[in-house]
Amino acid sequence: MDPFRLTLTTLFARKSWVLVFLLAVALPIVLPYFTPWEANTKLLQPARAQTTWTVTWLAGVLWTLSQAARFGDNNSRTGIGAYFRSQGCGPLKQIFGIWSAVMLFLLPVVACAVVVCLAFAMPADSGEASMWIVTNLQFAVLFLLTIGPLALLGVGLASRFGSLIGYIVPASLCLYGLYGVDYLGMTVKMRDNPALEWVYALSPQYRLADLTPRLIFKMGHLPATDFLIYLLYFTMVTFVVGAAATLFFRTEPLRN
Amino acid sequence: MTDSTNSPKMADLTLSEGFGIGYNSLLAEVPEEIRLQNGTHFLLARNGRGKTTLLKTLSGLLAKRRGGYRTTGRCQFVGDDLSFDRELSARLVFGSLIPRKRRKDALAMAAKLELDVRKPFRKLSFGNRKKVGLVVAEFRLRDDEPNIIFYDEPFTGLDTPARETVRQRWEETREDVLRVVSCHPDFDAMSMPKALLISDGKIFRAGDGTRTWADLKNLLN
Repeated sequence: MDPFRLTLTTLFARKSWVLVFLLAVALPIVLPYFTPWEANTKLLQPARAQTTWTVTWLAGVLWTLSQAARFGDNNSRTGIGAYFRSQGCGPLKQIFGIWSAVMLFLLPVVACAVVVCLAFAMPADSGEASMWIVTNLQFAVLFLLTIGPLALLGVGLASRFGSLIGYIVPASLCLYGLYGVDYLGMTVKMRDNPALEWVYALSPQYRLADLTPRLIFKMGHLPATDFLIYLLYFTMVTFVVGAAATLFFRTEPLRN
Repeated sequence: MTDSTNSPKMADLTLSEGFGIGYNSLLAEVPEEIRLQNGTHFLLARNGRGKTTLLKTLSGLLAKRRGGYRTTGRCQFVGDDLSFDRELSARLVFGSLIPRKRRKDALAMAAKLELDVRKPFRKLSFGNRKKVGLVVAEFRLRDDEPNIIFYDEPFTGLDTPARETVRQRWEETREDVLRVVSCHPDFDAMSMPKALLISDGKIFRAGDGTRTWADLKNLLN
C-alpha cells in the first residue's frame, strides 16, 4: 500500500492532473466549434466524439505513460524502492502499487470522455443512442486495456533504464499499434514476405481498440462476439506486456 | 548483553561465523559470531570497506556471499541516497508514509530538527533532505513486532544540533529498536557505546561503552 499511497500523494501534489482533466472536459466541447459546423450541424456531434477520444488518447500517451515512466525511474533512483523492499514490500507489490495510482488518475479522464460523448454528442434517434452508449463503453474498456499494460511496461522499463526509455518504448509501441500496424498490413498484402508477415502477426494490434470510426460514421457498437474476441486478445497482450514489465522492474538502479 | 529474546519488542540480529559480504567477490567476512539486540550499534569503516554492502545484505537487498545471518524484526534500510519527489513537502511525505497516530510526534521531531515541513523537497538543503528520511523511518516503527533500522550514513550533511536531536531520540527509544548506523569516523568527540568495525576484510565488534570514535578510528584500516 505504501508505494500506492506515496504515488497517489505525489500525483496529487504535482497538479498536472488538473490541467489534463480540464483539457479533457473543455477541448471536446470547444474545439468542434472551430470547424465549419454551421454548414452541417449534424457533423458537430461526430466531431465532438472524435475530439473527445483523440484528447483521451493524447492524455493516455502523453500524460499517463510519461507519469508512469517518471515514477518507475524515481522509485529505483531515489532509494525509495530499496527502502520499501527492505520492509518486505517486494517488486511486484511496488510496480502494481505505482501502476494502480497512475491508472487511478486516468480513470476520471476516461469517465469524462464517456460522459462528454453521452451528454454532448448523443444521437437523437433512440436506437442509435443505445448503440452510442454501448460503443463508448466498449471504447473505454479497450482504451484502458491498451494504455494500462503500456503504463505498467513504462514503470518497469524506467526503473531499469531510466525515464526516457521508460517513456519512449511504450509510447512508440502504442503509436505503432495504433497507426504503424495498418501500414505494415498494407505492405504485407502487396509483398510476399514471410518475415514481414511474422512481424505483422506479432505486432500489437492496438488499432482494434480505437473505435473512433464507429462513432464518427455511426457504425454501431461491436457485436458481442467480436468484442469478446477483442477482450481476449487484449488480455493476452496484457499478460505478455505485464510479464515483460515485471521482469524489467527493479527496486534499485542497474548500477547496484 | 542480556538475553531477552522472549520479549515481543526485542529485535535480534545475528551474524554467523563465516558470514561474508560483497558484490562479485568477497569484501569482508565475520570471523566470530556477532549478536546484536535493541540499542544503537554504530558501524565504522573507511571508504569502500563494505559498510553499505553489509547493511544492504542484512536488509535483504543484496545476496550474501557466504555463511548466514538471522534477523528477528521488521527491517528498514534508510540509504544515504533516500529522497522523495521534488514536489512533495515533508508534510505530504509524512502524511502518506507515517501512520496517523504518529504523525503529530513526527511533526514535533521535524520541528526540533528545524525542518520546514511545508517546503517542497527540491527546495530543501542536503541536510534537511536527510532529515525527512530519518523522521519517516523513526515513526514507521511497528508497535506489535520488533524493529530493526539500518541507517547508511545518516549524519552526513546534518549539523551538530540536528545530530544531537537524532541521538537523543535514539537514546529515548533504545529499548524498542535495534539500530545499525554506518558512519564515517569523523566525529571524534562523540561517545561510542557499541560499534561494529570493518577492517582488513573482517567484520568484528569493538568498544566497551567507554570509548570515543577517535579511539576506534585507530583500529581501522
